[in-house]
Amino acid sequence: METAIRKNTGWRLFIQTILGRAYPRVVGMAREKSWLFFEIFLPMLSVSAYVFVYRAIGAPKEYIGFVVMGGAMTAFWMNILWSMSSQLYWEKETGNLALYIMAPTQLMAILLGMALGGLVATAQRALAIILLGSLAFKVEYALGSFWQLLLVFFLAMAALYGMGMMTSSLFLLLSREAWHLANLAQEPIYLASGFYFPIKSFNFWVAAAASIIPLTLGLDAMRQLVFPSGALLGFLSVKVEIAILFGLMVVFISSARLLLGKMERLAIREGRLTESRR
Amino acid sequence: MSAEYSIETEGLGRTYRLRENKKKKDQPRELVALTGVNLQVQRGELFGLLGPNGAGKTTLIKILTTLLGPSTGWAKVAGYDVHRETVKVRPLINMVSGGESSGYGLLTVRENLWMFSQFYGMQSVEAYKYIDQLLAEFGLADRANTKSSDLSTGLRQKMNIIRGFMTGPEVLFLDEPTLGLDVGASRDVRSFVRRWINENPRRTLLLTTHTMVEADELCDRVAIINRGRVLACDTPAALKHELQQEAIFNLDVSAQNGLEAAAFEALPGVRKVQLTPLDGHSQLQFILAEESVLSAVVNTLTQRDVTILNLTKREPTLEDVFVTLVGRSMAEEEKVGSNGNGH
Amino acid sequence: MNLRSFRTAAWLGWKIESNWTDPFLFAVYSIVKPLSGAAILVVMYSVITNGNFTDPLFPYIYLGNAFYMYVGAVMTGVSWAIIDDREHYRTLKYMYVAPIRIPLYLIGRAVARFLTGSFSVFITIVFGVLFLHVPINLAEVNWLLFIISLLMGVVLLALMGLTLAGVTLLLARHGDYLGDAVAGGLYLFSGAVFPLDVLPAWLRPLGYAMPITYWLELLRRSLVGSVAQAFPSLSAMSNGQLLAILAGMIVLAAVIAVITFRWCDYQARERGYIDRTTNY
Repeated sequence: METAIRKNTGWRLFIQTILGRAYPRVVGMAREKSWLFFEIFLPMLSVSAYVFVYRAIGAPKEYIGFVVMGGAMTAFWMNILWSMSSQLYWEKETGNLALYIMAPTQLMAILLGMALGGLVATAQRALAIILLGSLAFKVEYALGSFWQLLLVFFLAMAALYGMGMMTSSLFLLLSREAWHLANLAQEPIYLASGFYFPIKSFNFWVAAAASIIPLTLGLDAMRQLVFPSGALLGFLSVKVEIAILFGLMVVFISSARLLLGKMERLAIREGRLTESRR
Repeated sequence: MSAEYSIETEGLGRTYRLRENKKKKDQPRELVALTGVNLQVQRGELFGLLGPNGAGKTTLIKILTTLLGPSTGWAKVAGYDVHRETVKVRPLINMVSGGESSGYGLLTVRENLWMFSQFYGMQSVEAYKYIDQLLAEFGLADRANTKSSDLSTGLRQKMNIIRGFMTGPEVLFLDEPTLGLDVGASRDVRSFVRRWINENPRRTLLLTTHTMVEADELCDRVAIINRGRVLACDTPAALKHELQQEAIFNLDVSAQNGLEAAAFEALPGVRKVQLTPLDGHSQLQFILAEESVLSAVVNTLTQRDVTILNLTKREPTLEDVFVTLVGRSMAEEEKVGSNGNGH
Repeated sequence: MNLRSFRTAAWLGWKIESNWTDPFLFAVYSIVKPLSGAAILVVMYSVITNGNFTDPLFPYIYLGNAFYMYVGAVMTGVSWAIIDDREHYRTLKYMYVAPIRIPLYLIGRAVARFLTGSFSVFITIVFGVLFLHVPINLAEVNWLLFIISLLMGVVLLALMGLTLAGVTLLLARHGDYLGDAVAGGLYLFSGAVFPLDVLPAWLRPLGYAMPITYWLELLRRSLVGSVAQAFPSLSAMSNGQLLAILAGMIVLAAVIAVITFRWCDYQARERGYIDRTTNY
């Protein structure tokens, strides 16, 4: 064992770390089959409930498609709240956080790995819900520009997971109180971000304020791009929404970096952030 | 590594600010976990930190592994300041804490270890080679593909230990590595640790323990630490040698009336007395300035109608060194200092 | 012994639920969260109907949703204790070796959620009456029916929670919202926010097999008598008939809960799951 072990540094180490941390996210979830039931079947039922509410009150057909798409996107928001924002806290409680801080890699890469793994795993769920929902309720699509759709999805996800990375440091600092915040950010965000109806239903300023959550504009732009009457019910033009999403992505990812540094410095100064407090 | 010492500290101290008690807001409390610690550990040494729970061992390890900043003084690992040059220190070290799990329960043992190897920049092929080699060495080869949540505590701890050695650190910190392991597994770990340091003479290992036998058997040098201070630092043999001139006796006695250690402390030549009530009888442990003092002890016992059931003379242990330094056994010290909480 | 397990667990649950935050945040949590949930439906309804709140369908949806909050609260309360104790506090194993009854302990842990949930339900209904013309007239409320239905519902939900807790013993920690996920799934089949008649014919039997359907209908009727006409297929049934059906279903739920929990509990101990952590 005395022979020196070759080790990568710099960007290679950064990439390795991202993939290393993403691995358990992707593999771990698939390993327990119960996720199929809890994360696809049950959310699918939930989406269906909203579809039937629309049917009960005689809503036009395109609203069904809005609900299916919005319902699928809730998977991402849930993932951000419970598996990104609160993840560093769990890592602390299980003793991993200290090992991550001590490793020669960057914590930012660990967070990116968590995000990437979460994104890949959640995308499977969201896609399954969209497919099942579209088939079950015969949703009609009229795809405008595929590349724009891809760009919107990419930007929305980058901004969203950037936000999750930022809040994970915040939640760690807040400790268990963050549970309330995560809980608090469920229904109010479903409401404000228009998961189940077009955001245009609100007045301009409410919709603008809700746009701080990247899913709001992401969802609005995607609906505009895939549904025949989407553009009529859109909040802003797709191009403007793309520009704002890009801005949000930059802001959230850089804030995540800043806060993570602050968290690490605080952990080292106070000595309590790497300790489990059961 | 060009530094003279692998680990070096000077005047190292750490004070924790405890959270304020809501009812007593005017009393901000502080806990001094470490104070004035000066250590020099040579490259290739297996250095032990021996002390009861709450002595400050974990705090010291946390500072040395860049997880905690010092309040006073400085510390260097592999020649770099642990507080200012964390980026240079981290690639050279690793740490294993006993009683803590690491990784994710849904990953297999091999996957968990691979994941950590990635955070150190190891190439997968090479990482798997080391992982398999170490798994075999720790008798875990047949569990390599078991989910770590399905492992027993002992096996999970072995996995954790492999994680520490796997990255080939220049300085490895083992914080109570045998905590929670059974006797056989502890022995395996100890023999592996010794073998590793022998085979890697340029690497350094710092081990904290509150088990005497671990410190005695394994370590080249031992620092005895209590209440945040280093009380003595030398090879186990040298530490014990200081007690060699003295005589240590264990007496099992049966007393009709109550027996108090204080009755013997006044006798000239008695350095330390420890009284342990056992089932139906008591054990007295004496550290005497010289053997001849024993007759005075026996006389006192006879006068008090105490029957001697058994009398043995024994070689000094590190526990005796601790008792001489602190005035209490480690177990007693843990009870007294139990308001300290593992820092 | 049984009473003590329950009481201690209720006390512990209350401590865990409320000691780590300030009353302000707690109130926000109990007000903003439920009201937002209700507001989603209100916005959906008003966008499509142009704000026609006088249709009996509106109080049907609004009240069904308000009382449905109990389902998530109690079921999560009972089952989340398993994950929280096993993976976070790591005390589940000690609870197992202690001379307490685990089912009672789990139900006790849910008391806190029931109490905070009651607050949310109350606030939501008051909001609906004050601002959305939900036609509740206190003089016309059938209080006896309301209280009996509510109590039966608590028993029912605790039993359903226990069934879920049993299943949770065998599951990994996928997220912190298992109870809510199940509640969200059952939302579809309980006639909470739309009459079961809207469902495709082949799905309706599931809805009629769900005790929550009858429970919610009884609560709605006790508060607003006229709402019964919004649910055509149940409107022919009297309150007494609905109560009898609910009582029968509670007995069935109890049998299922006992069998499921015992079986899962046995399996969990067989497989050594009581003290595992499954974070990933």
